[in-house]
Amino acid sequence: MDEEYDAVVLGTGLKECILSGMLSVSGRKVLHMDRNNYYGGESASITPLQDLYDKFKMGKAPESMGRGRDWNVDLIPKFLMANGKLVDLLIHTGVTKYLEFKSVEGSYVYKGGKIHKVPADEKEALSSSLMGLFEKRRFRKFLMFCQEFSLDDPKTWEGVDAKMTTAQELYDKFSLDQNTADFTGHAIALYLNDEYKNQPCGEFIERVKLYSGSLARYGKSPYLYPLYGLGELPQGFARLSAIYGGTYMLDKKEPKIVFDGDKLLGVESDGEVAKCKMVVCDPSYAPDKCKKTGQVIRIICILNHPIPHTNDSLSSQIIIPQNQVNRKHDIYVGCVSYAHNVAAKNFFLAIVSTHVETDNPEREVQVALDLLGPIEQKFVTVSDLYQPIDNGKQNKVYISSSYDATSHFETTCLDVLKIYEIIDGKPFDFSKIKKTEDDM
Amino acid sequence: MATGSPNYKIILCGEYGVGKSSIFRRFMNNSFLEETGKKSTIGLDQATQMFRAHGTEVKLTLWDTGGMERMSFIGSSYYRGANAALLCYSMRNKDSFTILSQYILDIVMNAEGAKIFLCGNFADCTGENCVTKANIESFERECGDVLSGNYQISCKDNTGLNDMFSDIARVLHQDAVNKMTLRKDMIVRPGISPEAEPAHKRKCCSE
Ligand SMILES: Nc1nc2c(ncn2[C@@H]2O[C@H](COP(=O)(O)OP(=O)(O)O)[C@@H](O)[C@H]2O)c(=O)[nH]1
Ligand SMILES: [Mg+2]
Repeated sequence: MDEEYDAVVLGTGLKECILSGMLSVSGRKVLHMDRNNYYGGESASITPLQDLYDKFKMGKAPESMGRGRDWNVDLIPKFLMANGKLVDLLIHTGVTKYLEFKSVEGSYVYKGGKIHKVPADEKEALSSSLMGLFEKRRFRKFLMFCQEFSLDDPKTWEGVDAKMTTAQELYDKFSLDQNTADFTGHAIALYLNDEYKNQPCGEFIERVKLYSGSLARYGKSPYLYPLYGLGELPQGFARLSAIYGGTYMLDKKEPKIVFDGDKLLGVESDGEVAKCKMVVCDPSYAPDKCKKTGQVIRIICILNHPIPHTNDSLSSQIIIPQNQVNRKHDIYVGCVSYAHNVAAKNFFLAIVSTHVETDNPEREVQVALDLLGPIEQKFVTVSDLYQPIDNGKQNKVYISSSYDATSHFETTCLDVLKIYEIIDGKPFDFSKIKKTEDDM
Repeated sequence: MATGSPNYKIILCGEYGVGKSSIFRRFMNNSFLEETGKKSTIGLDQATQMFRAHGTEVKLTLWDTGGMERMSFIGSSYYRGANAALLCYSMRNKDSFTILSQYILDIVMNAEGAKIFLCGNFADCTGENCVTKANIESFERECGDVLSGNYQISCKDNTGLNDMFSDIARVLHQDAVNKMTLRKDMIVRPGISPEAEPAHKRKCCSE
């Protein structure tokens, strides 16, 4: 410990592990610590099942739920977009080699009390139960426009200026109604609220293209999920960091960031100080440098059946757009199962999550719970969201934000890339990673 | 898998300093480094070599630990899907040998069904604290059929490594072939609806 490091990283959540990997790859000497005796922090997958019951003080896990070790339960549910930023990071860093993925079988959206398959290509649009006949045709035209649209090719613009025309104006151009806008904005473009409607439509079109492109990769949905749970992801990046020279220490007693006046000295644990030039950490290691920005509710539900009306999907996602239930934030349901080695044979895990808006968060998500059919067991958490009060440049303590309620990793990666850019003054250079031979 | 030859994942397990990265280096490009400490581990990820087993070309992919065992634990993800674990100790360091039962526990927990092979490195060394033949025999008895092989090698002198990996390739491949015929048996049994996948998905490899 009494060595000197370029960076000490605290917490082995996904964001910290990606950053640790990037720092090691770019030649920094990294020490990575965690107060827990396992990798992943909040992004760990809990195993065996009894550990989950213990964590929620729920007594003994029932025998009927099979072998405890077959369970790997995520605390924070998310999927990867097949063409998204995390997949980019995984491929460029070679971390894909350490993991196995399955494509998520179905992507659904809630409308008028029922769930419908999200139509994302022209064919599906025409058979969708979400829209009337004429609206379907208009929507199909809109999708084709987005897929063709290219900033470099004015011929594809059809009078739309990506920097001027708003998303609402784009909807209007294709005469799409509010219902269509709801599922397009929230279940395809994956916006968290409706502010995008008044913004220039360039990003909106990009997001629609990301969804369609991701969908085209595997066919059933644009989402991927790793076997054995999301906890595999931080471990994959930790291995990358270690291979590039990072040192790992778990089970460290209360690591504490120490300063000399304003100047960062290092990190103290068990009476020893690891000196360093910078600290990267999650909010729980630097609570005094963070502010609370809201709360997320997450309800882990154990089911012994697939979610009704999802075509018996072994994995699925349901998005409940805010407008459909008079809210300001969407509600998400992510479902995975024994097919992903996260539950015992014939069991399913559905996790409902959203940004809290009232003082009775459980009631806010009742509409989502009602979609799940009989629930064997519920585990409820309401957690505070934290954000750093500054960008860390001043005191060299770079803090990530808490994981939000979104159902995918796009915001997670944006946070990571932003922090890296602040540290380095320039974006991460993927070409620094020496690609190992593709032996698959 | 593109090329069709079966591919078996082997993970290196054992204490820091017993020569796991040295075994990896010999396997990868038949080199040896005298250097100790972190330097000898950095940069090693996974490597694949072809072997002949029962007339078939098989691939072995060896994984190094990344040195994570030095001050910490190796995460469960390292073990996923491993067909075999090479349980390494140093012949000149008894402690690295007596601790092996803990490693077996980790392997059994995290890499279900992986075959375990015992590997004593530093066979070139002699001295006081060395692991004896009697030690190894009594450990083998204790383990019963948990161990699928037992080798003594020296990375420094390059002795025993080739034979070890060829033997492991044979054992792993034989096991996979047996499992396949076993499954076939199940499928033809009348009156029982087998849980097997469609025939075209059945392969003799594990991946
Ligand atoms: N004499 C001798 N030294 C060895 C042998 N194998 C490895 N070493 C040395 O032991 C040290 C530790 O080996 P290393 O492969 O880094 O161990 P690891 O921590 O298990 O990966 C290095 O200095 C090697 O050069 C061997 O068979 N004989
Ligand atoms: Mg090593």
